[in-house]
Amino acid sequence: MDKRSIFHWVVLVLSSLVLLFILAPLIGMVLDTTPAEFFETVRDEEVQDSVWLTLSVAFMATLVFSFMAIPFAWMMARYNFTGKQIVQGLIDLPIVLPHSAAGIALLGFISRDGLLGKAADAIGLNLVGNPVGIALAMAFVSLSFLINAARDGFAAVPERLEKAAMNLGATPLRMFFTVSLPLTWRNIASGFIMMFARGMSEFGAIVIIAYHPMTAPVLIYERFNQFGLSYARPASLFFILVALVIFIIIRVFSSRTNRTIKRASLNNY
Amino acid sequence: MLELKNISKSYNNFMLKDINLSIQKGEYFILLGRSGAGKSQLLELIAGLKSPDTGSIYLNGRDITGEKIQNRKTGMVFQDYAIFPHLTVYENIAYPLRIKKLKKEKIGNAVSEMAESVNIRHLLDRKINGLSGGEKQRVAVARTLVTSPDIILLDEPMASIDAPLRDDVRRLLRKINSMGITMMHVTHDYSEAVRLAHRVGVIHKGKILQVGDPDSVFSNPVNRFVARFAGIRNFFSVKINNQEGKTFAESVNCKYELPEGNYPDNGLMILKSDSINLSLKEQKDMNNCIEATVIEINRAESGYELLVDAGDRYHVLISKNETESFFLKAGKTVFLSFSPDSIRII
Repeated sequence: MDKRSIFHWVVLVLSSLVLLFILAPLIGMVLDTTPAEFFETVRDEEVQDSVWLTLSVAFMATLVFSFMAIPFAWMMARYNFTGKQIVQGLIDLPIVLPHSAAGIALLGFISRDGLLGKAADAIGLNLVGNPVGIALAMAFVSLSFLINAARDGFAAVPERLEKAAMNLGATPLRMFFTVSLPLTWRNIASGFIMMFARGMSEFGAIVIIAYHPMTAPVLIYERFNQFGLSYARPASLFFILVALVIFIIIRVFSSRTNRTIKRASLNNY
Repeated sequence: MLELKNISKSYNNFMLKDINLSIQKGEYFILLGRSGAGKSQLLELIAGLKSPDTGSIYLNGRDITGEKIQNRKTGMVFQDYAIFPHLTVYENIAYPLRIKKLKKEKIGNAVSEMAESVNIRHLLDRKINGLSGGEKQRVAVARTLVTSPDIILLDEPMASIDAPLRDDVRRLLRKINSMGITMMHVTHDYSEAVRLAHRVGVIHKGKILQVGDPDSVFSNPVNRFVARFAGIRNFFSVKINNQEGKTFAESVNCKYELPEGNYPDNGLMILKSDSINLSLKEQKDMNNCIEATVIEINRAESGYELLVDAGDRYHVLISKNETESFFLKAGKTVFLSFSPDSIRII
């Protein structure tokens, strides 16, 4: 390191500052929370319920929407059509939209006066203030991550592999499930995690669609609003730790699943 | 067997134009052309990966122009093999059989038998990533053969294979063809056509220029492009004259005697490099003997290739011994002679 130029030292200091910026608040939160406060929060049923609601709804929203998003991503990777750029812009729109505004827009769509709300009402389901409504809000703000990751994955699969599969007798559906999907699994898993994570952390859109039942971000906000920082801090720490454990498990699982495919793909194409 | 009738297809900056071609059962047909000539595009149309704008494709008398890819019975071996990287060799070969929903035991037997016939049985449990180019080629061929296609379409099968392994692949392709399987092979390599084909076609800028057996195509090329493909490098624009009962071809700088025959008034004179004799003394008994100056001496596959200037510039192939015994070097004066029968006018 002693032979490195000043530039390298500057880069090192700047990088350290960025890492510190990310870590400092989290470390501060850990240090400012006593074990007693933390375990009391962990035992709090309201907190447990909100964390479980957040995780389960985010997971279900990701899972259900992936059935539509993945074929859509394949289409975006494989076909060129008039207006493709506009469609891509629409996919990216939720990322740039203020999330409270997204919540307002979505509320108009799923409330009893809205198109989807009316249809749901017909079967006795009120989407507002309902986990289904929360799932829709989560999906709305996070779907772009899954579509974009899967689209990049499909685009990286050589099209001739799909053509070869069909030349060997596969129908388009079989080709998709036996060639395209297995070779894109890594990107899809990555997009799935990103969508799940983004949906789980959503606050702005959800708070407009459903204040109750409370997701973890809404609960943390409410505790902060009503009781202050020290009361919201242990719940935040608990939610962060649960999220971290889940992400590590999913990452390890998905990287094991994909290790062989990745190695083969890199070596051959 | 395979018949293409008036096939045309437009691409962004290229077009396949009015392709008519017929390939007989059991035939090994090679379509020669430079890259970008339209060879692979034509294979894709036959395999159904793309649809022609106009024209029809018949296979065994059946019109397959609008047939789905998976129902065509055309087995395609892609240039870079297109082997599935997430499957083992066994799974790759078994892939089309699983689609047919054959019993596991039957699949196992068929895969083993096919692997045996292309000498890759020892590789069946291997992943694709450790295989050599030749091994991948064999996997791709086995995977196609196991579907029992009516015709095998080979897209530049030697392109990604190291030179020492090409003989093995040629042997394999000959063996497959000798089993009665019809093959259509596209390549840019003239020597592949000479070594493998029963008949060849030459395609240029989306149009098939000439079709025939290799001898007739390469001995009687219809134009300069086909001649170049056949490795001919001596071309001269000539006017044909008759003088004193003899026929002569006159270029800007030289005059050549031709054998008797009917010729156009103007044409392109073609002379193979290995049809020219080189000597240090004038061969007065020869009808066509001209003085020339050596310009360049370059190594060739066997011996040397000389570029000489006799008014017209010639490429002449000579042996290593001749080069040494004549003490050839740039600037030396030599004499070229060739029989009138070795001249072709197109």
